[in-house]
This record gives sequence, C-alpha cells and structure tokens, in this order.
Amino acid sequence: MKISRIKIENFKCFETFDLTLNDGLNILVGNNEAGKSTILEAIHLALTGLFNGRYLKNELTQYLFNNQVVAKYLYDLDQGKAAIPPYILIEIFISGEDLPSFEGNDNSEKIKECGIALKIAFDDKYQAEFEQLIKNENVKTLPIEYYNIFLTSFARENITARSIPIKSAMIDSSSNRYRNGSDIYISRIVRDNLEPEDIVDISQAHRKMRDNFMRDASIKAINEKIKQSVKISDKNVELSVELLSKNAWENSLITYLDDVPFHYIGKGEQCIVKTELALAHKKSKEASLILIEEPENHLSYSKLNQFVHSIKKHCEDKQIIISTHNSFVANKLGLDNLILLNDSKTLRLNDLKLETKSFFEKISGYDTLRLILCKKAILVEGDSDELVLQKAYMFENDGKLPIEDGIDVISVGTSFLRFLEIAEKINKLVVVVTDNDGDVEAVQKKYENYLGDKAKSHIKICFDGTVDTGDLMVGSKPFNYNTLEPKMLKVNDWQDFNTILETSFDRLDDLHKYMKQNKTACALKVFDTEEEMEFPDYIIEAIK
Amino acid sequence: MKTNKLIIAAAGAGKTTFIVNEALNQKEGNVLITTYTRANEEEIRKKVIEINKCIPENITIQTWFSFLLQHGVRPYQGCLFEKNIKGMILVNKQSAFRYKHRNGFSVYYKEEDTQKHYFTDTFKIYSDKLSKFVFRCNQKSDGAVIDRLSRIYSHIFIDEVQDLAGYDLELLKLLFGSDSNINMVGDPRQVTYLTHNESKFKKYRDGRIKDFIQNECKGSNCEIDEETLNLSHRNNELICSFSSKLYPNFEPCTSNQNDVTKHDGIFLLRKQDVEKYLEAYNPTQLRHSIKTEVNKSYNTLNFGDSKGLTFDRVLIYPTELFIKWIIDNNYNLKPTSRSKFYVAITRARYSVGIIYDFDSSLEIEGVKFYEPNN
Repeated sequence: MKISRIKIENFKCFETFDLTLNDGLNILVGNNEAGKSTILEAIHLALTGLFNGRYLKNELTQYLFNNQVVAKYLYDLDQGKAAIPPYILIEIFISGEDLPSFEGNDNSEKIKECGIALKIAFDDKYQAEFEQLIKNENVKTLPIEYYNIFLTSFARENITARSIPIKSAMIDSSSNRYRNGSDIYISRIVRDNLEPEDIVDISQAHRKMRDNFMRDASIKAINEKIKQSVKISDKNVELSVELLSKNAWENSLITYLDDVPFHYIGKGEQCIVKTELALAHKKSKEASLILIEEPENHLSYSKLNQFVHSIKKHCEDKQIIISTHNSFVANKLGLDNLILLNDSKTLRLNDLKLETKSFFEKISGYDTLRLILCKKAILVEGDSDELVLQKAYMFENDGKLPIEDGIDVISVGTSFLRFLEIAEKINKLVVVVTDNDGDVEAVQKKYENYLGDKAKSHIKICFDGTVDTGDLMVGSKPFNYNTLEPKMLKVNDWQDFNTILETSFDRLDDLHKYMKQNKTACALKVFDTEEEMEFPDYIIEAIK
Repeated sequence: MKTNKLIIAAAGAGKTTFIVNEALNQKEGNVLITTYTRANEEEIRKKVIEINKCIPENITIQTWFSFLLQHGVRPYQGCLFEKNIKGMILVNKQSAFRYKHRNGFSVYYKEEDTQKHYFTDTFKIYSDKLSKFVFRCNQKSDGAVIDRLSRIYSHIFIDEVQDLAGYDLELLKLLFGSDSNINMVGDPRQVTYLTHNESKFKKYRDGRIKDFIQNECKGSNCEIDEETLNLSHRNNELICSFSSKLYPNFEPCTSNQNDVTKHDGIFLLRKQDVEKYLEAYNPTQLRHSIKTEVNKSYNTLNFGDSKGLTFDRVLIYPTELFIKWIIDNNYNLKPTSRSKFYVAITRARYSVGIIYDFDSSLEIEGVKFYEPNN
C-alpha cells in the first residue's frame, strides 16, 4: 500500500500537476518557488486534513487557490460571463490490492484505481445565498464562505482522514511556523505508532490521574474556597482538569528527550528525532508515508550525513518524499530517486534517453542539479569559457556575478545536447555558448532541434556566425581561429592583451599560440583584470 | 476452501441468533451481515451487541439496499452514469413510468435511456432497479464490482434471503462464483416484500429461492440445509401447528417453547371485545397497513414490519381473505397474503388473537373463541 501517483488541480502554484511516485524514496529537487513544498503540503492535506499543522476545515481561504484560476473566475464574473466557481482537487492514487474499499472509478481519469480525492469546492447547499450574491454583481473575491472540503474514496464514498490506512508524517524543520501547538506533529507521530489498546490504556490512565487530582485534599480545599468566595451565578464553580475533548490526553502530554521537553531541543535534533520516530512506525494494518521538507536546514554537515544515512537504511520499507535544494542530499540519496521540478513539470532520469541517463549516472550529479536549481543556465564547453562568460556578465552588470542573479554558468565539455534534453523536458531557461570550430553548418546541424522553425522560447543557442581564417600553423595542422580566445583577440586591440595577460609578445601569432596552450591561466587573468575589454557579439547575446 | 450455504429456517427458530453467532466466529477477514428490511437490520445489530457487547471491527451490518448502493453502485457507477447519485427512492410499483398509452397500458422508460430508466429527476435511484444497475455496472467494468466486493468481505451473511428477487438473484449467482463465502438464511414462507416488478426470474418469486439455487446455480456448489433451523424456540406447539397449515408442502415445524400461561394458542374474538382483550393481554396489534384502524394506545405494527420480531402476544387485524382461509383452509390465499398471515401468526410466543365477528356455532380445529366473562 503505497502512493503511486498524485494529481493536483488549482492548488497554490499548480493549475494542473501530475506526478508518479516511487514506492521507496522520492527526492523532489527544484529551485525556490518551484512548488516542492506545495506537493508535500497537498499530499499531507489529503491524507490528514491538516494544513500548516492545523485542521483546514475551518480555515479555508482564497489563498489556497491558484491565483490565475481565481483571477480568471473573477474576471469572467465581472464581464457578466457564466463562470463556474473554481475548485481545488488533490487526488492520491494508491497502489496494491489490499485496500479494495477505496477502489472505484471516481477519479479524474475515470479509470479503475484505488485512491482518495480531496476536493475544496463550492457547496451546493449554499446555492440560494450564492445566487443572491451573483445577482448583486458584487463578487470581488472568491466566495469562500460557501466552500467546503469533500474527502471521498474512488468508490464515491465520503470518508474521514482517520479511515485512510496510510498515515502521513510531515517533518518540517524549515521554519517556526508552528510556534503555537508546536507539538502537533510529534504527538501525531507518537500516536500513530500506538496500537488501539495502547491508546485506550493511556486515556484510562489519564482519566485516573484526573480523578486522583480531584480527590486530592488540597484541590478539594481550594474548590471549597472558590465555592465560598465566587458567586458568579447560582451554579457551582470548580477547578478541574480538562477532559472534555476526545483526546484530552494528547493535549496534556508532551514528549521528553533526556528530560528536556521536545520543543526545547534544537531544531536540527527535532528534525532527526521526528524522522526516526516516523521511520520506526510499524503498525501492521497501516502503511506510513514520511514527508520531509528541506532537511538541510538546521542540520550541520555531520548531522545531515547521519540523517541521510538513516533515511537510506529505511527507504526499503517506507515511502519517503523529501524536498531539497541541497545537491549533497540529493546526490547522496541517489539520482535514480530524483524528481526534478520546474515550472509545474517534472522529470526523472528514467524519462531520459537511455544513453543520456547513463551519462548522468556516471558524472557526479552535481552538474545536473545545478541545471535544475538555477533560474537560468549558461552552458559552455570548458573552464576557460566559463571564466570569460562570467567576466562578460560582470562587465555588463556592474560587477555582479551571474550566480547572484540565479544564473549558473556550467561547463559541460561536449555534452551540450544531453543537458538540453533535460532543459527541454522541464522548460528550463538555457543558453548554449559554443565555438563554431570553422563549420557553421555543422553547428547548425548539431542544434537543428533548437534553431529556426524548431526554436524553443526558453533555449538559446549562441555562436559566432563568421568563420575566421588565417595562415598560422600549429605543427602540421592549421590553427583554429574559431574558438573563444582568437575571437576575443579579434574584437579587441590584441596588444592590450599583453597588458591583461602580463605578457610581451610582438606577434599576434605568438599570442595566439600562447593563449591556446595556457587556456585556463589566460582565462583567470582575463577574469581578474581591471582593464576594459570588448566581447564578441555572441557572448554579449548569451548574457542578455 | 470457500463455501456457499442456504439454510431454510422456520419462524422463531433463532435465525438471527444463528447467523450472528456464525458471523462472530469469523475472526479472520471482514464480515458483512445484510438483510432486506431496516427492522431486521436493527434486530441483527441488537443481537450482536447482546452477544458480544459491541460490534467487532471486522463486522459490518447493512441493509441490502444500502450495501448495494455503497459497494455495488458507487464504486463503478461511472461505467453507466456519471452524475452524483443522491441516494435511493423506495418504490412499490414498477418505476420509470413514462405515459399512459391510449389503449390503457402504461409505457415505461427503456433501459437505453439510462438516466430516466434508473433515476428520478433528482437523481435518486429507484429501489426496484438498484440490483439491475449493480449487475450492469459489474458487466461493464469486467467484473470489477464483484471482484472488489469479494476482496473486501471474506464472508457475506444474508438474512431473510427469501426476500431477494429479480436481479438480486443474478447478483447472488455472481457472489456464489466469487471468493467470498456466502451464507444465507431464510424462511420461504415469509416473503413479504415484493418491491421487484422486474419480470426477471419471475418464477422464483414467492419464496422459491431453493428452486432457484437448484435450477439456476448448478455449478455453484451451494449446500442446502433444511434441518438445522426447523425447531421453533418462539412459538408454542399450538401456534406452530396452526401456522404450518398455511404451508402444507413444507415439513411442519416443531416447538420447544413449552411455557404455559393462562391464555395460549389461537383465538378468534369479536370486534366489540377488542378493548377488553387489549386490556387483559396487552398484545401487539398487527395490521395490513396504516389505513387499518387500531387502538392507538397499544403498540402497533404493519405485518411487513413485524418480520423478525418476537412478542408474547399479538392481536391480528385480518384482511377478509385471511378470514376466508381460516374458515376454509382450502381457500386459495394468494402467496403474498399467505406469507403475511404466516408472519403475523408466528410473531407470538403464547397467543394470537384474530378479530372476527364469529358465529357462536362456528368450530375450527386448533382455534379457540374468546368470550369475555362479564
């Protein structure tokens, strides 16, 4: 019993979103604002009814809805068009044959599946009031007061979160959002570990404790005193222990770690303890799902290592979904489990061509993640190109490094097309900067899927359209005038480069040779210099 | 190994107790106990609590209709009908009436018009089409309905199985072929609910469930047991033998209820003596329908609703046809009336009063005459 798929409609940043999940570990990687947390929130909400640690039922707001969808609805109403009030839909598909009561075809795909659907939608019972509101033509916000939450199984049965046998534990150390009732997660996690008989025992013990408390002589005396002095009404006033709510014991018990109340220990430790507790869950009739949000926050490097280790150990029998923008976490936990997220689109390595996949499996994985995590990527061939690009960017942007604007310059060797395959799948903004190596047609052929008719709005290919030639020979081969260094010399007064490179060549050819043989050293000098210089047009184009 | 079993029971033989005990013995898997009427569902619920203090987690008790709606209709209704079904409406004649033909006969919406055939304008499904809808859903979904069901419930107990008719029987057949163990208990003499007007399996109406299983479900391996529950714990010997006369083709039931009170057996009483009789014996009044006038200060039930219940004494407000049969046991009382009368009589432990302005000269075997001593 695992979550095999989640579909989201109109929830926060997602208009439509569809994601297939692994049975074990799933790592959501994406830039800030990519919607990683929203996915975790959506899953947790559907399985528990909790949002930000509180029951959503009485706290519905318009801000849960996708902005565009709400705006469109309000616009349509304003234009006097018939508009259907938007809804939020979160569908959780559950794999396996062991939950037949949740099977049916009441899902957006209309197929036989097992699962649940949480819908936040206009409640028909307010039809009359809503009609009045529309007639008055005064709808400026989403009429959320007429909305309700509907939780159903795919068998069209109304269910409660309690009846879902997948227990979800959300571990979020990223913020102090939960200063009030900070213990709700830990007590949920602890409770989920208890068998029904344990819970009965605890609540009995709690009841007994209350009875003893009330029977205590000092309490009796105090109550007697209150009775004498307070005359609020003709009714009896008395001190007692709260027993009214169904789970009174949960509210008055807190978890201690080595005699320190849980919420007093450090955030990082909290994160580890919560995770370990959730990982220890082993009720036979239930499955558990662990949602972990950005574990890298609050954890030192060694703690993070420890954390990653215990996750790795348990992901065999537990389904875990982690969101992160830390490439260490993602890389350590295995590229196979990566789900790359960008612009409401997702990508797994498995979705790539076989040879691309094995290429990325061989390289460290960091570069892949850099591509995913940046706002925009500039792909170059080697380190020297990278340095020159950075320099050009600084020149054009008051000394700001591209990374400060979320733009990552990545040297990819000869693997441009492999990176483009990923970029294309996730709508990532990418610029390729490449040499023409004396054959413009060959370059055009290589990138034919991204040029001309097939140009993609988010992928730009930059190279020099002019083939330069000359007489210089290196050994028996003609010198290649069509790489970045000769192009740099071409647009500048070449003698200025003696200053920049701290050299004193008399002949341009010698400078050509020197720069070819000392690419990186020259690039570093270019990067460090305070001298002004010009850059070839295709470089300027790339950093626009 | 899965088993299917039909137990034919006499009235008062402790069907409900039997079925509840069998269900409580199933510690593994999920158990469904279902029956046609709400009254009987309530009775089963009470019985489970009486025996077990609470309803165990693995037992679900549901009426046949609510079971069909939840597990038969809803999960795969999309195969036939997408809109939200707002529950069921009980009908007592053929549903989906379209218009009256000028030749006098009624025209109904055909099955091809799914919405009109099965549903009211407010999307309530007609009770007489419920099982048909389920059967079609199962067909269209390649058996997903029954497959899902049999994975939810390892054991299905059906009480008052004689009430199933029409497409209910098709569903029964499908359940026989599933992995669930199907246990049925019923008394073919007690068919009081004929809400099915489908012509489907018409010949197995009126309590011919046994024939249905023998003729139509040959490969289904369903055992039929007529012995276990043929002893009435409720009715005394006098009531047993009188009621048995209504069904001469059945083995007469025997009684082990030997309490003696001062007023035992079958009594005829005159209308003018009803007040006195009520006062003297406090019987539960049983009537044909709400239209029958009764004394409102005493407990009253319609015949149909009394099924499954037990009272010390009952007072029957008979229809004219009941009387015809009492006077002449060869009178051809129609199956429904016969069944209702049988149910009414067999509610009582000690005595059955029947209102009839009898002539003092009348003599009937097994029937006494109430004459208040004034």
